[in-house]
Amino acid sequence: MRIRLHRDIQRLDKSIVSLGTLVEERFRMAVKAIEFRDTDLATRVVEGDLEIDQREVDLEEECLKILALHQPVADQLRYIVAILKMNNDLERIGDLAVNIAKSVPLIARRSDLQNFFDYSSMAERVQEMLEESLDALVNRDLNLAYQVCAQDDEVDIMKRAMQAQFATQVCNNPVDMEPMIELFLVSRHLERIADHATNIAEDVIYMISGAIHRHRGRDYEDIE
Amino acid sequence: MRKRARTFWKLFPAHFVIIAVCVCAIVFYTTGTITRLCKERELADLETQAFLVQKLVQGKLSREYSRDLNTILKQIGPEISSRITVLLPSGSVLADSQEDPDRIGDYSVRPEIKDALTGKRTSSTRLSITSSLETTYLATPVFEDGRIVGVVRVSAPVEATGSIPRPLYVEILLGTAIIFFLAAALSMYVSRRIHRSVLELREGAAQFSGGKLNYRLDVPNDEDFGSLAEDLNNMAAQLHGLVTSITQQRNELEAVLHGMVEAVLLIDTNERVLRTNEAAERLFQLDRDRVKNRTVHEVIRNTELHRFVSKTLAGKGPFEGDIIILGSPDKFLQAHGVGLLDTHGNSIGAVVVLNDVTRLKTLENIRRDFVANVSHELKTPITSMKGFLETLREGAMNDPENAGRFLDIIIKHTDRLNAIIDDLLSLSRIERDVEKGGISTRESLIKPVIEAVVKSCNTKAQPKNIIIECDVDTELVARMNPILLEQALVNLVDNAIKYSETGGTVLIEALMDNENIIVRVRDHGCGIPKEHLPRIFERFYRVDKARSRKVGGTGLGLSIVKHIVNAHGGRITVESSLGLGSTFTIHLPNPRAISVHA
Repeated sequence: MRIRLHRDIQRLDKSIVSLGTLVEERFRMAVKAIEFRDTDLATRVVEGDLEIDQREVDLEEECLKILALHQPVADQLRYIVAILKMNNDLERIGDLAVNIAKSVPLIARRSDLQNFFDYSSMAERVQEMLEESLDALVNRDLNLAYQVCAQDDEVDIMKRAMQAQFATQVCNNPVDMEPMIELFLVSRHLERIADHATNIAEDVIYMISGAIHRHRGRDYEDIE
Repeated sequence: MRKRARTFWKLFPAHFVIIAVCVCAIVFYTTGTITRLCKERELADLETQAFLVQKLVQGKLSREYSRDLNTILKQIGPEISSRITVLLPSGSVLADSQEDPDRIGDYSVRPEIKDALTGKRTSSTRLSITSSLETTYLATPVFEDGRIVGVVRVSAPVEATGSIPRPLYVEILLGTAIIFFLAAALSMYVSRRIHRSVLELREGAAQFSGGKLNYRLDVPNDEDFGSLAEDLNNMAAQLHGLVTSITQQRNELEAVLHGMVEAVLLIDTNERVLRTNEAAERLFQLDRDRVKNRTVHEVIRNTELHRFVSKTLAGKGPFEGDIIILGSPDKFLQAHGVGLLDTHGNSIGAVVVLNDVTRLKTLENIRRDFVANVSHELKTPITSMKGFLETLREGAMNDPENAGRFLDIIIKHTDRLNAIIDDLLSLSRIERDVEKGGISTRESLIKPVIEAVVKSCNTKAQPKNIIIECDVDTELVARMNPILLEQALVNLVDNAIKYSETGGTVLIEALMDNENIIVRVRDHGCGIPKEHLPRIFERFYRVDKARSRKVGGTGLGLSIVKHIVNAHGGRITVESSLGLGSTFTIHLPNPRAISVHA
């Protein structure tokens, strides 16, 4: 029985890393699509979401099966629970990537707007966070996970800066409302992705140490 | 040390026991024989005595001689250890050397007397009533004229004569003990010798199993141990040779893998990474020690690669696939995968070789775009011209006003075609010169070149009220081809003017830093979007096709600039922000470069 459980957990390991990889790639593609106004790339991201959703469902079923069949305890139970939660966060990131990709066609028509919102630094930071949280998962690296959590605040600050910029731009060019709103929303999606990446890191912390590292250091109120 | 005792104790105790048993057997046998010998001797002795007595009592065997015989016997008695008894055929005692005959009873029931009375000489051994000692009795009949006239009996205690005397006994035992211990000692010595041989062989085997295949056993002068030692030595030599050759093969393989440009991944059936080479570690930024035995999924996060690996493991191959690593910039890889099979045809893993074809792909894109662009650029004016010419042919040439206008347009197009072809030729010439051995250069001042550039561009700048500013060190010198450099700078400044708003400024600066001469053209025009920056130096590459054609351009200007700069051994870079402007920077090698090492 123990061997079965071990094998099932190994398979689960592979599945979650696969899903993480897929989501990471889709997110990268979405960011590239925004930066280069590539509508083809954006379409691929949107179409690829089906696969992510399917994999999320499969992974959840795998977890439930293990829980029912093997009734794991202690470390292994913690592990399964953490995987279930990460699964959820990854699927959400996939959805948010799709949201970003969906705004590409709207923005592509207005190439002059690019100078108002440059997402490269924010997107890069969020990509980094996602990559690091997955690295922390794969390498069981507690320190890296804590690092990811610490970076979330910076992304929030970036988003606020974008918000301010948006407000100014809207005042100056009220006509360009629709594409500008789309562009602005991208910053919101990015910030949400950063939140989910942080959640993943917290789940990794839980998985390794058993400590629940949530709801800490949130100094700012969410003004939305 | 305990194990040592075990084997030794196998040899020694067995021998010890054997020796002990043998010695005891010998002792018993010897003492038995000696005892028997003594007994026989004693009996012979008694017989001799009986014979002598017989001669002595010859003719005197009657009662009248009883007292005389007694006296004689009693005289002999104390001098000898045996007792002599003379009896009549009736069984009564006539004389005795120790006892009083009158007091002794009838001896006829004594077994030896009985037998003697039948005419036989016999002996018997029994416990004597009189002396309470084990005694041997020998009785012999006395014959006279064929008739038994009496019996002579001689007796002696066994203890005095019939057994081994005590000193002899002790001597025998002592001798036995000494010999026994000697034998035991010898046995121990011999056992040790054999054991030592075994130990040496064991030591050798231990050395071999510890990997020291250079160790050689001494060959003892013994058939079995000797040949065993020889065989072990041979085995070690063979193993050593095998290990050396395998190590060498392994090293060669390592060298091959290390030197390969392509990335190689060796994967087992569980999708775990068995082996990577240096190229793979560079490509995927892997740390060899951290990668061992992790799954491909954990180590390289690329979905396409995972799929490719699964496919290769499932089938036999060879498989080919394209893999893109997203990043800035993207990397394009061509993957080749083959399944590894064992001797029974079962999959034991897969080998994936990855080729970085990013550059090839980029070049392919450039070439494809170039061909499309050239065709388009040439076709557009020609189509236009054809249209106008046909219109003229169909009657417009009879309309002087329109005809004139049409012809002007046609001339403009031909000018444009000419310009394009000139630029193409220019490019091709520079490339050819570079290939042939480089452009001709000499060290000359930069400032005059820049002044020429300004003069030539001012004609285009003035209508738009654009001011060209210069910031050039008068002494600045570079190794260059002045004509080509001027052409390059003119292109840059032209672009700057074209894409700037009216009333703007264009700045040309030239300065020196330790390694390079830097010439910079800066404008505050509309700028270039980020996604186009990597490609703007490609031939015919346009950022905004519509606008570019309107302001007049062949699409080749920047390409020519890049070629000229490269021909000088330098490089060109661009920075730009939309809405703020662009800066083109030419880096030329500094002929006076002084390396200062502090």
